[in-house]
Amino acid sequence: MKNIVEVKNFRMDFGKKTVIRDLSFSVKAGEIFGLLGSNGSGKTTTLRALLGFYTPTAGELLIDGRPYDPEDSSVVVGYLPEERGLYRKETVMDTLIYFGELKGLKNPEEWALRYLKRVNLLDKAKEKLEKLSGGQQQKIQLGVTIMNEPKLLILDEPTKGFDPVNRRLLMDIIDELHKKGTAVILITHYMDEVEKLCDRALLLKDGVARAYGSISEIKKEFGGKSLDQIFIDIYGEENE
Amino acid sequence: MSRIKNSATFAVFKFEFVRQIKKPSFWASIILFPLLIFGFSLIAFLVGKDSATNVEKYDENSTIAVVDEARLLPEEAPFVIDGGRERGVEMVKNQEVDLFFYIPADFSESRNIEFYHISETIDIFNAESNAIRAILSQYLTANLDPAVVVAITGNFNVADNPLTSSGEPSNALGQAIIPLVFLVLYFIFLILFGSRLLMTVVEEKENRISEMILTSVSAKHLIVGKIFSMLLLGVIQILAFVLPIIILLFVFRDNAVISRIISLIVVNPTNLILTILLFIFSTFFLIGASTFVGAVVPTAKDASQFIGPIVIGTVFPLYFMQLFLMPEPGAFVEFLTYFPLSAPMALMLRNAFGTLSMPGFLIGLVEIAVMSVVIIRVTIKTFVKNAINFSLVLPKFARKRR
Repeated sequence: MKNIVEVKNFRMDFGKKTVIRDLSFSVKAGEIFGLLGSNGSGKTTTLRALLGFYTPTAGELLIDGRPYDPEDSSVVVGYLPEERGLYRKETVMDTLIYFGELKGLKNPEEWALRYLKRVNLLDKAKEKLEKLSGGQQQKIQLGVTIMNEPKLLILDEPTKGFDPVNRRLLMDIIDELHKKGTAVILITHYMDEVEKLCDRALLLKDGVARAYGSISEIKKEFGGKSLDQIFIDIYGEENE
Repeated sequence: MSRIKNSATFAVFKFEFVRQIKKPSFWASIILFPLLIFGFSLIAFLVGKDSATNVEKYDENSTIAVVDEARLLPEEAPFVIDGGRERGVEMVKNQEVDLFFYIPADFSESRNIEFYHISETIDIFNAESNAIRAILSQYLTANLDPAVVVAITGNFNVADNPLTSSGEPSNALGQAIIPLVFLVLYFIFLILFGSRLLMTVVEEKENRISEMILTSVSAKHLIVGKIFSMLLLGVIQILAFVLPIIILLFVFRDNAVISRIISLIVVNPTNLILTILLFIFSTFFLIGASTFVGAVVPTAKDASQFIGPIVIGTVFPLYFMQLFLMPEPGAFVEFLTYFPLSAPMALMLRNAFGTLSMPGFLIGLVEIAVMSVVIIRVTIKTFVKNAINFSLVLPKFARKRR
């Protein structure tokens, strides 16, 4: 299967501090890939470098064989970043339509209404975003991320702050996209989500890959332990 | 692909335009700003009327000549000359005398005296004219019989005929009107849109939305869309300011003062084109400077620290208006003319007051145009690199002082 993301010998320094060291991995088209690690392990930095916000100190980060540019890329990318926000003074509908137009949707209004119905926020369409709860705002952000049916979906802790009902809803949406052929890079601290959704994963610690492969390969490497236990084994020592 | 690029720029343009125009503050500024301008102009007029103006060059040492066709002055008076008005005007042109007075044959009926002098300044408050009247009275008092002095200076009208240093009739005020109108428009744009642009650019970072938006649209199309929306808003604001003035001028065109002002206006096509170009480039430079700050700083609060210096730097030449009124610009005026931030307004002032040479004008235009392009390009690059800069990182020396 073709690689949609390739990271080769990626190194990232901030001043004298090295955050990522010689990191290499790939994400295959259509798979769900878990990018795992404790806080500060370098996950978000890797994604930001992949999307061009950081210039890597060394190495290559490619999407569909070339550095990412939102307008020159042949691959449609949806990114739900760790830093969340929206135009707080704008209405839900105006925001969705604006992003729909930015992403070249033919009928963004129709899409917005359909999505709001799906996530039970149709009654909030005319509300200003600042009036919505954190979870409701997150659903709008997710809508913005997936509205143009991306071929690569990057989700940085998408379920953070969600109640179980909404977590399930989000999982279903990710699963639907996956079935349509979307590749997903998922950053999460919930190992049950990884076990349920991910085909392969990379575990990062201090900017170095500690484990990489299919979920079953990783489990096998760690003596058949659950992902939860593997996570605790790798990162638990940080807190000791 | 290019359709998506263009539609993305248009989407940003439409979104920014509609959300700004929906704000009550936009409409409030349309109503309030003309009132504020009128108020400040009135204060400036009242203060300026009493302040010292550029009349020190006329004193008791000024040389004068008088052609007296009314035969009021004794012929042996040292300042009375023969040869008619033309000779007196020639003497002023050749700088043989500072002032020339022409008393026509019908003075006893018309009570009119014409005077000629070299003047490159704008005598808005008649200060120069009044000084010259005083000089005439002084000369007459010193040299003539008091009865003659009273006969001439007791009640007379003056017709001021300023000349340029090359001897052409001077209409400094008329030539200044159009450049000054563009200066006022630039000032309006600066006050109303300088900070608004900056806030618009910083908003994505402030709302933590920059990462999401920059994976959907390039920084170039985002910034360009924002800039053009602000330009259109600026045009609306300027029209709201200018149209009522044009309508008032048209309605009251028969009023003596207004018809005099209209008749004074000089339209020099070459200068008009250069003035319009200067206005356009200056506006883009201002936009570039504001968006650059917005691209560098992480929040509106941080941005507010920088907008003040930009505004002050831009209007700095206005604080030294007196220096700009001098016929020969000094080194400081030259510095302000080509210093990046102050250049637009300094060039506009010197263009209005007629102290800018054509090469100087062209150099200034090119400088501002180049700076505008450079700063907008740097802004676009900076915006991407600072898109995830959510806190202000200051240089070490600034951090210590903080």
